[in-house]
Amino acid sequence: MKSLDLTERLGLVSYRNQAKSDIKPHIEVDTDICNSTCPHKCTTYVCPANCYTMDEDGQVHFQVEDCIECGTCMYACDQGAVDWNYPDPEIGRGVTWNFG
Amino acid sequence: MDEKFDCIIVGAGIAGLAAAMTLARNNMKFLLIEKGEFAGSKNVSGGVLWGSDLAKLVPEYWKEEDGGWERFINHRRLTFMDDQSTFSIDFKSSHFNETPYSGVVVLRSKFDRWLAGKVQDAIDESDYAMESFIATNIKVDEILMEDDKAVGIRTGEEEFHADSVIISEGVNNLLTRQVGLQDDYVPADHMLTGIKEVIRYDQKVLEDRFQLNGLSGMSNEFVGFATDGVEGGGFLYTNRDTISLGLVAGIKDMREKEKSPHDLLNTFKAHPVIQDTIQGGEVVEYSAHVVSSGDKRAMPKEVYKDGVLLCGESANLLMNAGKAIQGMDYAMRSGILGAETIIKAKERDDFTSNTLSEYKQALEDSYVMKDINSFQDAVHMLHNPTMYQDVPNLICDFGRKFFTIDSKPTKKSREMMKESIKEHSSYWDLMKIGFKGAKSL
Repeated sequence: MKSLDLTERLGLVSYRNQAKSDIKPHIEVDTDICNSTCPHKCTTYVCPANCYTMDEDGQVHFQVEDCIECGTCMYACDQGAVDWNYPDPEIGRGVTWNFG
Repeated sequence: MDEKFDCIIVGAGIAGLAAAMTLARNNMKFLLIEKGEFAGSKNVSGGVLWGSDLAKLVPEYWKEEDGGWERFINHRRLTFMDDQSTFSIDFKSSHFNETPYSGVVVLRSKFDRWLAGKVQDAIDESDYAMESFIATNIKVDEILMEDDKAVGIRTGEEEFHADSVIISEGVNNLLTRQVGLQDDYVPADHMLTGIKEVIRYDQKVLEDRFQLNGLSGMSNEFVGFATDGVEGGGFLYTNRDTISLGLVAGIKDMREKEKSPHDLLNTFKAHPVIQDTIQGGEVVEYSAHVVSSGDKRAMPKEVYKDGVLLCGESANLLMNAGKAIQGMDYAMRSGILGAETIIKAKERDDFTSNTLSEYKQALEDSYVMKDINSFQDAVHMLHNPTMYQDVPNLICDFGRKFFTIDSKPTKKSREMMKESIKEHSSYWDLMKIGFKGAKSL
């Protein structure tokens, strides 16, 4: 069986309010902390949905759109950069699992 | 709705639904709030619901043609892995075919929704058919506190009031933190990420491959190469026409070893034995969720305070002591016990800690805390690298030696074992583990 890459995997996830382009992010990340004092920038590899990415200059960026609300980053970040919340049902994104 | 409820339950997962069912059957007026589109829509588990409490909530659930569960477990397998091999302990018995089953595999989006339907039926038959509700699509922003006692909840601008609140919000327990029962920041040390694919097959293919008969099913846990040096393990459970295949991996360990959960899952799937096991399927969903480890050091400080109880994973009631990953059954039992305490509180008209502390006692007296307490050493042991790395390697190396027949003089098994131990561990490490193991299991 062929392994799926992350884009293919996330393509199988049903997100809420997918038609809305202007959503309210449920997680706020102070990337200034990631990009100044954080020694590991671990969210860029422990997030199962790759919401945290690192560019060529080693700078951390965050986008909430693919978030599957698993909570990993809330524990993994020990630098106080992640302000985690659940998405708002009306104006947030987040998941609706088909199987769960 | 100005009227006050006896209880507001936050979160329609298994703990919340079990609490709601118990309240409905005892004619209590309650509001069960779920942030997802429907109960279960935001919930992920491995998942086997162990134990027999489901039969208490939904009597004779197995008679239902298309109940919310997938398959009952009559086949258990524990597999040790190195990079090439697997060595399994396999137990199957028709004893497990008897009802009430001792474990059913579930997919939460379907199971929780089904169970919520049963709760609604119980509400409809109760004295408060028109005044108790399951409300979905509502996110609770805050537990309302007066003099450090919970008096209701706030969602957006709206407030709902109640004599008591059951927090069953799951492991990412923001409200538990807000009421002061858990620290604002919970470190990664005793937290793991569960990651899973649901893989679909032609049902006949699935049944033939895993030797399933009717609605029987298999659960298989994996230790060793499954997590590629990260603490944790793997699992495979059979559903009706899909399997749930996944891993749990320690978050702190992934941080330190610079591992990604989705890469770990691909490494697991690429293992030659797993490849053979899962070939021909089609992935239909990818999911992930944090789980707690069962280590008491990570648990909330207390499971109650004035007007509030914590049930299920919000209280980190989960344990993997090597035999099974238990969490949903703990959620169910704690939900039932929580609701029973609320019923007592209502009778006495005392929702303070005086009465609510009886929930803690009931939990301590139940198998949930008895098991969590007595298997703490096993939990620590399973998170020891000797156990999740050296031992599986050693066992597989021994297996390879033992089962190799290559037209050369064969060594005695004892000699083979000695060599495997020398190569992958040491007698000293094993003795330490052995002593601990003998004590902890």
